[in-house]
Amino acid sequence: MKSTIQTAVMTAIIVAGGVFSANAQDASTILKKMDDVMYSPKDMTGKNKIILIDKNGKEEIREATIQQKDTDKRMFRFTSPASQTGISVLSLPDDVMYLYLPAFGKERRIATSAKNQNFAGTDFSYDDMESVLYSAKYTPKLLKTEADVFVLELTPLNRSDYSKVIVRINKTNFYPELMEYYDKANNKIKEAKYTFKKIDNYWNATEIEMTDLKKNHKTKMQMSDVKYDTGLTDDDFTVRKLKQ
Amino acid sequence: MNRFAEGIVKFKWLIILAVAGLTVFFIYESKDLHINSDIISSLPDDDPAAKLYKEIGTQFGGNDMGMIVLETDDVFKAEVIQHIKQITDSLKYTNGVSSVTSLTNILDIKSSEWGIEIGKLVDEYNLPDKQLQLDSLKTYVFSKEMYKGAVVSEDGTATAIMFTLLPDEDKQAVATEIKDKIEALDLPETIYFGGLPMMMNDINELIVSDIVWLVPIVFLVIAIVLLLSFKSFGGVLLPLLTAGLAVVWTIGIMAVTGYELTIISNIIPVVLLAVGSAYTIHVLNSINHIKLADRKQALVQALRYIIVPVILAAVTTAIGFVSFVFGAYLTMIKDFGIFTAVGTLIALILSLFFVPALISTLSMYGKKTAIESEEKKTILTHKILLPLVKFLFKHPKYTFMSWGFLLMLCIGGMFLIKTSVNMADYFKKDNPTRVAEGVMQKKFGGSLPVFVVFEGDMQSPEVLKMMISTEHFMKEDPNIEITQSIADLIEQMNDAMGEGKKIPDDKAKIEQLWFLLDGQEVMPQLVNDNLSKGIIQSKFVSVDSKELEVFTAKMNRFIEDNPNEHCKIELTGMPSVYVKLNSSLINSQYNNLLIAIVMVVLIVGLILRSASKGIFAAIPVVATIIVLFGFMGITGIPLDIATVLVASIALGIGIDYSIHVITGFNKHLISHGDAEKAIEETILLSGKAVIINVISVSAGFLVLLFSQIVPLQNFGLLVAISMFGSGLGALTLLPVILILANRKRKIVTNNH
Repeated sequence: MKSTIQTAVMTAIIVAGGVFSANAQDASTILKKMDDVMYSPKDMTGKNKIILIDKNGKEEIREATIQQKDTDKRMFRFTSPASQTGISVLSLPDDVMYLYLPAFGKERRIATSAKNQNFAGTDFSYDDMESVLYSAKYTPKLLKTEADVFVLELTPLNRSDYSKVIVRINKTNFYPELMEYYDKANNKIKEAKYTFKKIDNYWNATEIEMTDLKKNHKTKMQMSDVKYDTGLTDDDFTVRKLKQ
Repeated sequence: MNRFAEGIVKFKWLIILAVAGLTVFFIYESKDLHINSDIISSLPDDDPAAKLYKEIGTQFGGNDMGMIVLETDDVFKAEVIQHIKQITDSLKYTNGVSSVTSLTNILDIKSSEWGIEIGKLVDEYNLPDKQLQLDSLKTYVFSKEMYKGAVVSEDGTATAIMFTLLPDEDKQAVATEIKDKIEALDLPETIYFGGLPMMMNDINELIVSDIVWLVPIVFLVIAIVLLLSFKSFGGVLLPLLTAGLAVVWTIGIMAVTGYELTIISNIIPVVLLAVGSAYTIHVLNSINHIKLADRKQALVQALRYIIVPVILAAVTTAIGFVSFVFGAYLTMIKDFGIFTAVGTLIALILSLFFVPALISTLSMYGKKTAIESEEKKTILTHKILLPLVKFLFKHPKYTFMSWGFLLMLCIGGMFLIKTSVNMADYFKKDNPTRVAEGVMQKKFGGSLPVFVVFEGDMQSPEVLKMMISTEHFMKEDPNIEITQSIADLIEQMNDAMGEGKKIPDDKAKIEQLWFLLDGQEVMPQLVNDNLSKGIIQSKFVSVDSKELEVFTAKMNRFIEDNPNEHCKIELTGMPSVYVKLNSSLINSQYNNLLIAIVMVVLIVGLILRSASKGIFAAIPVVATIIVLFGFMGITGIPLDIATVLVASIALGIGIDYSIHVITGFNKHLISHGDAEKAIEETILLSGKAVIINVISVSAGFLVLLFSQIVPLQNFGLLVAISMFGSGLGALTLLPVILILANRKRKIVTNNH
């Protein structure tokens, strides 16, 4: 009798543990797959159009070319509007940034530890712009599985302004469709809508629409002319290149 | 006249039904009455400086800015820093708050040879807790102009946590939530709440508490005075009923026409209760005097007698109120004038239509009270009025000279009269808003916002340089400690680019520096969206009228002396508004007094068909107004947004006493032919009504001493003093003048 109960308890524990670990396994696997979709190319170049939309619907458009290598080197060169043409931003690992202002003819190093600040007037914070793997930044939990999407709750591993991020991941292709950002009082403060398209062998976020729900301000980042794996080297991400 | 009175009796049910219906309607409508505690909204649109101030406050979010000050012995202590973070977080996570800036989350931009370091002044995930860290933070904060005296007070004992509210939010609700949340943290440091949203919240509470507490007290006080005077239920009930209905209707009309309750108009109920009961008292008195067996005929006759004096009394009072419409600076004072006048006329109409209709419907109850009240008032007659009459006839010259002496004294006192426009003074000394304002002034360079508005291309070097030189000029004034503008930020960024702390000469450089500033939270507070307008934000330390005036004049001269084709410069802010308010207090006082005196003399003279009687009637009130200003000068009660109202109100109500005495004198003179006898009878008969009215009106206004708002306390006291003065003037000065004038005439006729 006693042993029957013991066995039952043991079985229950094992089964439950199995379920939990399967669940955890699932969540991390899903997130890793998402990371793969988002960060698999070795490098990328393309055109970036930044559309800022204020609460009255007024739009402001900036254009830039973008080059990216691995997940931690990126170069932005603004091509429009005229007053900002030639302004370039180079992001390197360890929160190091260089800014080049052509009117001054010189670059400045910008060290920013305040990652909750927004990037160049957009609704993306430096934190959001960082291309660090999601699986390295967050602990995932599978909330539910819907017809087309997995819904994951991501809890930050390190310091962050967010208490959690809810992400809806496409079941078949594993790209994110929607990310919802919550502050520490559990208010939803931002959301990002993703539109993905397959270019060559990779999935590309042709548009990310970030909405600051508090300010009712929107930023659309649209990618075009995307090319992958063109063989960019670290030499393309230097201060010397920044000034060209 | 008879037809009118009979008509009332005939249509009594219709009148009662109409009144009941309208009352229900107005009660229903008054649900929609809002409280407007936003003093800024009361600034007039026809004053360019005030209009600009309103626009700037809205456009650049200044009116949505709040401030929490935390005071302790030393801000740079681990637990204090911890508490600042707690407050910062709790503000950050309050719905409706757009941004928070404090010691624990402020952005710190350091520029060095190699570049710019953008970080937080304090690492919020790793707050400084070692003495060494705290000391170095202190040294750093005091070394930077943007923190010293702005975020941490210069003596290091206080720190400010600034926040802005989202523009479309219910500011009052957010302010209340913030206050509750911060108080719930129960921190050991002293916490002060400042800024317009918090102040409005406080004012709102004051308005509500004044209404909730004062109105019932006034009701009770007037009821007691009436009960003592009439010793009958009808005598208490009917005047209070009409005054109460007048209040309800007026509030209803305010709601229907879309007006709001302000710190001034919240006393409309008190004023109407005190003033509006008088007309019914007159009507009742008149009905009680007619001792006809046929009650219906008695009513008709009573109405016939009373209609002209009552209309006269109400119209003169209404004129006193309406005179505020001309010359008042703040719209809330104009509103107050209009609606008290409306309420007065409603009380009049109700007294003339509704009261007789009600009495004739309930005529059974009316008779007894008439006889009773007749006998009770004799104590007043024997103990006060008879001795008074004897004294006046015995010593007319002494009486006259005593008044002359008093008036000379008060004319002297008038020169000492001061004005006060500082809104913080409107609160009691221990009121949290006033205390907070005091702390802001002492520790953070004041709380009076100053804005210099620049209209032009905000990216042009010329405009930015002009801004910088304006800021330098402003800082020469000892009352200006901090200034902030987009030009300062451009200078800082230019420095960060390694080109020195100055505005670049090249517009392209400015445009590119802008790239670094875009999206910063402070930007919408400094420049508008399309970069055609920018402001210098500053604060003025002192609230002294003289210093405000000197600064405003100096700034305006600077602007005039620096004309340029690149931008238009304008000065606005609280100093400019206060200077205008101050000069308008004096001007509007002259204006509306003059208007009121002329109108009253004209109307009284016209109705009594004698210019000299119009002037005679005005003498006691003019004397009272002199006494009033003398009293204000001697006791140091300043002329402010509420006390500026007293003189005209005193005139409007006080004139009634003189009218009573003069019309009484006229009537008795006709029936007796002997002036001295007429004066005696007038004082004995009208004296009673005057004294009861003085007491009931004064008692009503004296309740305002319990108001939460200082100018209203002074207002109540001063109106009571004026009522007493006009009553005394009408019963002593006016009869003495009549006696002396009459004796002179006698001597003249005898000599002939």
